[in-house]
Amino acid sequence: MKRRDFVRTLGTYGLGGLLPSFTVPYRPLPSLLVPMDDAQTDHLKAYGLAYRAIQAGLKAEWLLNYRGGSFLIPDLDALRRDAALNGIWFEPVDSGIPAVRGEIEANNMDAVPLEKAPKVAVYAPPNAAPWDDAVTMALQYAGIPFTKIWDAEVMNGGLRDFDWLHLHHEDFTGQYSKFFLIYSGMTWLGEMVQRNSDMARRLGFQTVPDLKKAVARGIHGYVENGGFLFAMCTATETIDLALAAEHVDIAATFADGTPIDPDADAKLDWSRSFAFTNAHVEPNPLVASFSDIDGHQVNGGARRQPLGAFTLFNFSAKIDPVPTMLVQNHRQVIPDFYGLTTSFTRNRLKPGVTILAEEEGAPWVKYIHGDLGKGTWTFFGGHDPEDPQHQIGDPPTDLSLHPHSSGYRLILNNVLFPAAKKRELKT
Amino acid sequence: MKRSIRLALGVVLALPPLARAQAIGPGFELERSGRYADAATIYFTTVRSDPTNLPALLGLERTLFVLNRMTELLPLVQNARARFPESPALRSLELRVYAALNQTDSLEAIALRWAASVPRSDAPYREWGLALADRRMWDEARRAYLTGRKTLGGEGTLAIELAELEQRAGNWEASAAEWARAVTQAADVGPNAASQLADAPAPMHEHVARILTGPDASVAARRVGAELLLAWGQPNEAWVVMEQTLGQGGGDSDTQVALRRFADLAGTLPTPEGHRVRGMALTRWADLVPSPVSERARAEAVHELLEGGDRAGARRVLEAHADATALGQASLLQILIADGQLDVAEARLETSKTALTADDRGALRLALAKARIARGELDRADAALGDDSSVAAIAQRGWIALYRGNLKDAMEAFRVAGPYAADRAAATERTAMMALLQRIQEESSPELGAALLTLARGDSVAGVAALRRAASRLPVQGGRLEVLLLAGQVAAQKGGEQEPTAVALFDEIVHAGGEGAAPPAAELEWARLLVRTGRSAEAIPHLEHLILTYPNSAFVPEARRVLERARGAIPKS
Repeated sequence: MKRRDFVRTLGTYGLGGLLPSFTVPYRPLPSLLVPMDDAQTDHLKAYGLAYRAIQAGLKAEWLLNYRGGSFLIPDLDALRRDAALNGIWFEPVDSGIPAVRGEIEANNMDAVPLEKAPKVAVYAPPNAAPWDDAVTMALQYAGIPFTKIWDAEVMNGGLRDFDWLHLHHEDFTGQYSKFFLIYSGMTWLGEMVQRNSDMARRLGFQTVPDLKKAVARGIHGYVENGGFLFAMCTATETIDLALAAEHVDIAATFADGTPIDPDADAKLDWSRSFAFTNAHVEPNPLVASFSDIDGHQVNGGARRQPLGAFTLFNFSAKIDPVPTMLVQNHRQVIPDFYGLTTSFTRNRLKPGVTILAEEEGAPWVKYIHGDLGKGTWTFFGGHDPEDPQHQIGDPPTDLSLHPHSSGYRLILNNVLFPAAKKRELKT
Repeated sequence: MKRSIRLALGVVLALPPLARAQAIGPGFELERSGRYADAATIYFTTVRSDPTNLPALLGLERTLFVLNRMTELLPLVQNARARFPESPALRSLELRVYAALNQTDSLEAIALRWAASVPRSDAPYREWGLALADRRMWDEARRAYLTGRKTLGGEGTLAIELAELEQRAGNWEASAAEWARAVTQAADVGPNAASQLADAPAPMHEHVARILTGPDASVAARRVGAELLLAWGQPNEAWVVMEQTLGQGGGDSDTQVALRRFADLAGTLPTPEGHRVRGMALTRWADLVPSPVSERARAEAVHELLEGGDRAGARRVLEAHADATALGQASLLQILIADGQLDVAEARLETSKTALTADDRGALRLALAKARIARGELDRADAALGDDSSVAAIAQRGWIALYRGNLKDAMEAFRVAGPYAADRAAATERTAMMALLQRIQEESSPELGAALLTLARGDSVAGVAALRRAASRLPVQGGRLEVLLLAGQVAAQKGGEQEPTAVALFDEIVHAGGEGAAPPAAELEWARLLVRTGRSAEAIPHLEHLILTYPNSAFVPEARRVLERARGAIPKS
C-alpha cells in the first residue's frame, strides 16, 4: 500500500479506530500474540508469519514497543501450523487481550493495524548471487515473496507495480563500485562491466554513468509518487551523488572516458537528493570510496574508522509511529558492520532527516529516514549485519544460524512498515 | 588561502634545504585528508625552492593527477631532470608525466634518450613500458619492452615485465611464455610466476600448462608448470611433470628446494591424490637430504602415501630402508594388516614388541582385532586384544560380544568404555548402538548380532536383509523400529538399488509411529534422501509432518534446517 493510500484513509481511522466501539459490546476474538522480546525463538521468521497473515487477507496488528514490537494475529489453525513449522514462538491470548491493550494505552506503546501485504521489489542485476544481498537473504529466510527488477524495468515504468523497493550495493555513479582498477582482470568484474555496458547501449545511453543517473531519477520519481524506498550499503550514498550530479561528471575516466569535473563539488545540486548535502566527491579512481558522506571509509586507507556499536532511538509510539516501527527491536545497542558505505557523516545530512540510529559520540549516524513527496525513504549503512567485515568472496550468511539478528530485524521492520495503516503524525 | 596553509608554507620557506625536504609533511597530511589542491600548493612551494626535491615532485604527481592538472608538473620535472640527469627516479617520473599527458611520441623520444645515456641498462625500457601499462596502453607498452629486449639482447630481458603486462591484458598464454623465459634466466622467480599464473581463468589452464610443460620448456619452467597443476587441483599430472625434471636436475640445491616446495604445496590438497603425490615428493626429497632429516621425511612420506591409499608405495619405502625406526615398523605393520596379511602381522607384532612404543602396540592390536572381525574371526579378534585393559580395547570387546549376540555384555562393555574411548566417530557409533540396544528387552539376540557382523564385514545389502529379519523377531515398541531404522539408514547410504528398500523401511517406521525416537528420525532420513536425490519438493511434506507431529523431538531443529534448504531459504553449506 502506498503512502498516498494511507493518507486517504486518515479520515476514517484515528486512534479510536483501533479500539473497540463503546456502543457495541466488546468481545475479543481469539488471537495469537507473537512476542518479539527474548521469548521469541525466531525473530526473523516472525515477520514472515505476520506478512503471510495479512497476505491472506487477515487482520494483524503490530504492537509497537510491546514486548520488543510484537504482532497480534488471529488464532487460526493455519497460522498456528505456519508458526510451528517455522519455529516461531506464539502465545494464545483471548481473555488477556484487554490487559494487553490497557498496558499499551498506558505506556509509550501503540497498536498499528497491518492491512495489506506490500508488493516488494529488489533492484539487482539479473544474475546477482542470491546470497550477496542482506535484504534478499532476509526476505528469503522469512518467506516474504519479492520480485527482482533492474535498469530496464525502472526505465520502463515497472516500479509502479510495487509498493516497496530495495536497493543494496548498486553504484549509481556508474563506476562499478570503483573496483575497476583495483580488481582489474577479475572475471566477475568483467561480467559486471559487460552487463552494465550492454544495458546502457540497449536503453540508449552513451555511458553507464548516464544510465545510472537516469535510473536514480526514476527511483526518485517513484518515491515522490508514493513509493517506499529502502537502501543499504553503497546504494544510499551513490544514489544521492547520482541525483545531485545530474549535470556534472563525477565518474572517473575508466567509467565514461572523461575525467571527473575538477569543480564537481561546487556544481553538485543537492536539492535533487534524498538525504545528503554538500558532500565532497572522492576524485581518486584508485580509492574505492565515493565521497565524505560515509563516515567509516572502509577502503579509504588512513581515513578508515574502526567499527563500534550503534544505538536505536526511542520514539514516541503514539506520536511518531513511523520511526517507531522502523526501530522495533529486542536490542537497543547493535554491533556495527562495514559496507562500502558504512555510515553517514552527520554534517552531510540534510535538515529534516530523521536519525533512527547513531553511534553515540561519533561524527556519523547509521540509520536514517525521511519523506519525499508522497513517499518515504530509509537508508541503512553497511552490507551485512551478521558479517561485520564482509569481504568479496566471503561465504554467504546462513540466517538460520542468526534467527535473533537485531540488524536483520531492522531490515524486516522496513519490509513490513508499508503494510501499516497510516495515521496522521502529530508532530 | 587558509591560515593553516599559510603557516605551513611559511615554515617550509624558512627552513634550510634538508629540513625543507622533510617539511612537506603537512602536504602528506592534506593529501591524506583528501585536500589535494592544498597539498599541491605545499609541494609546489617546496619544489620552487628545491627543484630536485623528489618527494615533493612525487607528491605533485599524485595530487595533480587527481586534480587533472598534470600539465603544470611537466616543466618542473624537466627542470629537475636537467639538473640531475643521472637520477633514474627523475627520469622515471618524467616518463610517467608524459604518459599521463598522453604524449606518447615525446615519451618514446625521452625514453630512448635516457637509454642512450645508459646503454647497458634495462631501466629506461622498463620505466617506459610501465608508464604506458599504467595507462592501460598494452600494445604500446609491449612495444617498449620488446624494443628494450631487441636493443639489449637476451631472451629473458624484461621477461617479468612482459609477463605481468600480458597478464594484465588478459593474454595468459603470452604471459606464461614470458614467465617461462624469466624463470629460465633466474629460477628464484619461480614462486612468483606460479603465484601470478595461478589466477588464470579455468578455460586457460590447459593452454598455460602446455606452454610451461612442453618438450622445449626448461627445467625451471616445467617446475612452475608442475606447481600450477597442483594449484589447479591436478596432483597426478603435476607429479608426472615434476618427476621428469628430477633426473635432469640431479641433487642440486634448486632441485631440493623445488621438491620441498612441491611437497608443501601438495600438502594443501585434502584429496587422496594430494596425499599420495605429497608422499612421493617427500620420498624423493628424503633421498636428497642428510640424516636425520631424511628419516623424518620418509616417515612423513609413508604416512602421506597411506593417507593417499597407496599401501604398495608406502611398503616399498619402508622395505627399502631395513634400518627402519619404530615409527617405520609400526607403519609397516599397519600396511600388513591393511593388506590382509594378518598372520604375518601377528607374528611380527609379537617379535617387535620391544621395538614398538606402548601406544603403537595398543593401536596395532586394535587394528588387528578389527581386521579379524572383518573376516568374521571373532575368537581370534578377542585373542588379538589379549590382556589389553584400555578403554579402547574394552569398547572393542563390546563389539565382539554384540556380534556374538550377547547384548547384555555388549551394553556393559560400552558403558564401561565410556564416551571417550577411541576417536569421536567411534564414540558416536558406540553411543548410537547403546541407544538402539536400550530399546531391546532381550539379553541375547544371535540374529541381531549376526546381522551387525555382516554389516561390519562390509556386506551392506546382506546386512540390511539380516537386520530386517532380526527386527521381525522384536516387539514393535521393543526395538523393532530402531533396528529397521538402522537398516534404512544403511540402505539409504548405499543408495542406488537400495534406495527403494530405504524408502520402504522409513515408510514402515513412520506409519508405525508411537513413542521413541525412531519415527521422527526415519522421517528426517527419508526427507534427506529425497533432498539428496533432487526431490526437495517431495521432502517438504515429510519435514512438515515431522515438525508438526513430533514438536518436542530432538530432530525438529535439524528438520527445520533441512526444510529451509529444501525451500531454498538458506544457502547450501
